[in-house]
Amino acid sequence: MAALESPQPGTTSAMRHAFGNVLSVLILVLIGVLAFSIRLFSVIKYESVIHEFDPYFNYRVTQFLSKNGIYEFWNWFDDRTWYPLGRVIGGTVYPGLTLTAGTIWWVLNSINIPLSVETVCVFTAPVFSAFASWATYLLTKEVKGSGAGLAAAALLAMVPSYISRSVAGSYDNEAVAIFALIYTFYLYIKTLNTGSLFYATLNAIAYFYMVCSWGGYTFIINLIPMHVLLCIVTGRYSPRLYIAYAPLVVLGTLLAALVPVVGFNAVLTSEHFASFLVFIIIHVVALVYYIKGILSPKMFKVAVTLVVSIGLVVCFLVVAILVALVASSPTGGWSGRSLSLLDPTYASKYIPIIASVSEHQPPTWPSYFMDINVLAFLVPAGIIACFSPLSDASSFVVLYIVMSVYFSGVMVRLMLVLAPAACIMSGIALSQAFDVFTGSIKYQLGGSSNSTDDAEDTSTSNAPKDDASASKTDKGEEIVKERSSKKGKKKEREPADKPSVKSKIKKKALVLPLEASIVALLLLIMLGAFYVIHCVWAAAEAYSAPSIVLTSQSRDGLHVFDDFRESYAWLSHNTDVDDKVASWWDYGYQTTAMANRTVIVDNNTWNNTHIATVGTAMSSPEKAAWEIFNSLDVKYVLVVFGGLIGYPSDDINKFLWMVRIGGGVFPHIKEADYLRDGQYRIDSEATPTMLNCLMYKLSYYRFVETDGKAYDRVRRTEIGKKNFKLTHFEEVFTSHHWMVRIYKLKPARNRIRGRSKKKTSSGSKSSKSAKKNPWV
Amino acid sequence: MSNKIYFLVLYVLNLIFTRVGKGENERNESDERKKEILIKVIDKKSKLITCVSLIHFVISYVVSAIIIDLYVVFAVFTALIQVAYMALVGSFPFNSFLSGVLSCIGTAVLAVCLRIQVNKENKEFKDLAPERAFADFVLCNLVLHLVIINFLG
Repeated sequence: MAALESPQPGTTSAMRHAFGNVLSVLILVLIGVLAFSIRLFSVIKYESVIHEFDPYFNYRVTQFLSKNGIYEFWNWFDDRTWYPLGRVIGGTVYPGLTLTAGTIWWVLNSINIPLSVETVCVFTAPVFSAFASWATYLLTKEVKGSGAGLAAAALLAMVPSYISRSVAGSYDNEAVAIFALIYTFYLYIKTLNTGSLFYATLNAIAYFYMVCSWGGYTFIINLIPMHVLLCIVTGRYSPRLYIAYAPLVVLGTLLAALVPVVGFNAVLTSEHFASFLVFIIIHVVALVYYIKGILSPKMFKVAVTLVVSIGLVVCFLVVAILVALVASSPTGGWSGRSLSLLDPTYASKYIPIIASVSEHQPPTWPSYFMDINVLAFLVPAGIIACFSPLSDASSFVVLYIVMSVYFSGVMVRLMLVLAPAACIMSGIALSQAFDVFTGSIKYQLGGSSNSTDDAEDTSTSNAPKDDASASKTDKGEEIVKERSSKKGKKKEREPADKPSVKSKIKKKALVLPLEASIVALLLLIMLGAFYVIHCVWAAAEAYSAPSIVLTSQSRDGLHVFDDFRESYAWLSHNTDVDDKVASWWDYGYQTTAMANRTVIVDNNTWNNTHIATVGTAMSSPEKAAWEIFNSLDVKYVLVVFGGLIGYPSDDINKFLWMVRIGGGVFPHIKEADYLRDGQYRIDSEATPTMLNCLMYKLSYYRFVETDGKAYDRVRRTEIGKKNFKLTHFEEVFTSHHWMVRIYKLKPARNRIRGRSKKKTSSGSKSSKSAKKNPWV
Repeated sequence: MSNKIYFLVLYVLNLIFTRVGKGENERNESDERKKEILIKVIDKKSKLITCVSLIHFVISYVVSAIIIDLYVVFAVFTALIQVAYMALVGSFPFNSFLSGVLSCIGTAVLAVCLRIQVNKENKEFKDLAPERAFADFVLCNLVLHLVIINFLG
């Protein structure tokens, strides 16, 4: 980047610079306020409540941290989940988010602002999204200048894909992690531009914060080596590149190993190997360049062969070690999640749990337009603008957007990583476009008069920009020359044309017809207006639902379905503290956080066999299911049912995953038993296995009493088996709209009359069936 | 004392490079006398040139740079010793091994960065005061060693 010209204090241009800076700061403050307030729709429309599933776990952990302090939190073994296995919270959670919110709560409480933990948790995400837009401003300013920075920051404050994961109440890792991501990238680019070791240290610390916050840190530690390699290959090696990269690798690996979740994975898994390889490569390249500078060419050839051969030997050794490590693990060193990113079909073949999460599906084309809207076609313009002077920083941003577009195409959840890149590119494109149009308008308007004021005006422009781009300084020089001689404009243009071809091109681009520029400017502003309207609509209608409270508009007004909280409150008031509750894993976090009961499986999904056990129980007939649940000490079973009101995300719709995951571990559950013509049916055409399984029975028990015909509003059909009794379970609670149903396991019978008869008569049969079905 | 080291280094380097130069010489041995004399003169000239370039190199090779380079060599050597020890004794506890090796490599890398910034011939860092470079180096080392001591276990 060209250095900032420091104008003489007191001159008009200094006043203008100062005014521009003040305006910049004011605009940034407004952008922060915008980013914060657009995320408050859920608080206004519903209430200040934690949303979804994962945030409840984070909230529970933050509660524990605020109550018991950081030492207890670091060493916490949670026995109220994954019964009877438990979970080591300290070692399996990314602590960044909870530590951040805990610190904010502690600081606020110590200066006597008594905010509750819940309030701090709900509002953490909007506050950090304001920080993220400021970080985007800083990053784009390093790449292209502060005009582009302001545009990019304004775009990021509103982009719907970021809003979707950071509304007020969405207390999840990404709320903090996106800020950490952008800030780390900013510090990397700053180090690359200035070559200062101070920023390299800050970069490593910001990377540490990113590792603490999110598993997506592997994106950083693979993108930066890729960029370094790109710079080396395209001949842009410089000592600043070495200073930007080498301390980051060493410090970054150490800091990543400090976080318990990552631990030794920082050096042993394939996600990090790229950084080590590029570390060695950059040392070889650095040594080669150093020797080139100090030796004569004859000696240089000798020395370079020596250095390159040593470098190759070291590289070969390291690669041999890496290959040994990689070959010894069945997935080639990659974790399951990373492998499902690289090979999109991997998860559906081998890990059905990862495949079952709706966020992990590939996005549809309309979702791109929904999530980044106008930016989708401003991005290519931005990529071209990045190439017009290609610098290290702009090549980095181009690489960032290419990689993030690929990953967003694999998993819809990663559209979130695409959002900052798209905003940066679009900000650059918009800023360049505004430059050209306003410049040509001013040139056209100032072309009739010959005054120096007009000429001076053309050297600055409306939006506060630093003179950071080379073309602008060329224009400035050209205008200064014109001002100094005070001759006819055409004569002055010619000597100014000679210094650089770029100013000539820029001059040509400036000379657009006045009407065309004005119309284009108005169209651009309208484009921005459409973007804003869409973002506000998306924030208000699409992404503000807390999903723990549902609403629907009907003729009688607004209906509120608060069944989830009703049932968790029932659980916490009407059961013993040590009672175990079994449900599908989606509801684990909410049950432990709100009902404060021990659960069998929860959203962490780290133990596939345990989940398969619960899935098998839900798919088995009543007696077998009772045996399974009894062996796990379960007292209550919780089932979510949407058939009465038409709630589509209920357990019957998720049933296919229970069968698949259960069948993956216990082969006596066969999916074909539940399918009629390849479909899961619950009406009269359903298979007998389906009509007898626990999930069917628990969902539709007494359902016929609601309307006499047992019409399921989600499946849009009447159910198959309408009148049946439960033998091993008893219903203890059904919520107001039948959305949550809780059943209790009936205690075992005192006298077992039938069993002895069964044993003596069918000795051979029992041995055969024992092999197939381990639970009966 | 340091002068003697300079001249020793110079003499050794000169020996090395003249050995390399002599390889070319041996190829022309079958030629006539005149060419031999010419070659001897050229050889002496090239020796002189290499001497001059070496003197230039050594003079620009300030004492501080020698210290930094020696420090880098020492750090890498220590890291190699640690790796050899780990190969002998086994890698438990792994975190101690990792923090030891990475601390050596880390200080080596940081010293190289300092060297880059302090080097007078480097045009990009012309206006960076060496005190500022050293202060950055110290700060980065502080952070590095804080992490090391925490990780050493």
